Amino acid sequence: MMTTPPEVGQELPELVKNPTTRQLVQYAGASGDFYEIHYDQDFARTTGLPGVILHGLLKAGFLAQLVTSWAGAQARLRTFDVSYRGLDQPGRPCRCRGVVRSVVGTTAELEIWTEDPEGRRTTLGNATVELT
Amino acid sequence: MSGAVSGSTVVDRLKAKIGWQGGERVTLVEAGQVRRFCAAIGDDDPRWREEVPPTFVVALASETPDFQEALDYGKGWLNGGDRFEYLEPIRVGDTITARSTLVDVYEKQGSSGGLLFLIVETEYVNQHGRTAVRLRGTRIRR
Repeated sequence: MMTTPPEVGQELPELVKNPTTRQLVQYAGASGDFYEIHYDQDFARTTGLPGVILHGLLKAGFLAQLVTSWAGAQARLRTFDVSYRGLDQPGRPCRCRGVVRSVVGTTAELEIWTEDPEGRRTTLGNATVELT
Repeated sequence: MSGAVSGSTVVDRLKAKIGWQGGERVTLVEAGQVRRFCAAIGDDDPRWREEVPPTFVVALASETPDFQEALDYGKGWLNGGDRFEYLEPIRVGDTITARSTLVDVYEKQGSSGGLLFLIVETEYVNQHGRTAVRLRGTRIRR
């Protein structure tokens, strides 16, 4: 949790996730998204994928955790916008990162993203946080 | 792109469906459902015992309209992105009514063929009749 007001350019403490196929099944059940590309390897390949992939919304959940754990319980998230740009597969670490892009009054704009082990940004996003 | 169906015909037929609304889905937000959702993400922040985490609303409804025209296009779905707008917190014990609307349909040419975009907006309204969350999702057939 934040203890001092954020500064522009400040990075959020990184959150590293190590998703497994088990976690994808767990997320499928918890979210109700049972699309087979997230747990059936053969099905995933028939749609042209290399194998099962993470739900975009699971990565969004990781990034939301990055933001809310940094901002603390008193802060309010106003907007949270993510764009899924690359595939992430279970068994590969997913690094969640963010940086403060602007602070106006009590409102902070954050740039957030997930990064694969090759350093490619597979999810890009923005969040607006009210810090009071 | 599917060989059987011309892309432009599919897009025209789907464009005619802009404005389509799914049914209302009413859900009582239960502690167990929120707990399982947080466990699936791996977020054990104790504040989520009372309030729901930011992406939880997708578990209440995140319908991709299963139009046959969309299913005839390409081989599968991809999620393009999600934009959440938060107006009020959602707490355990709230009753949330969710309803999705198809707001846009368009086609783009990707490096490996056509991509069909469906933009779906979902409103989550609480038991006081106030919108708590708006979600704009981009779903892609490819």
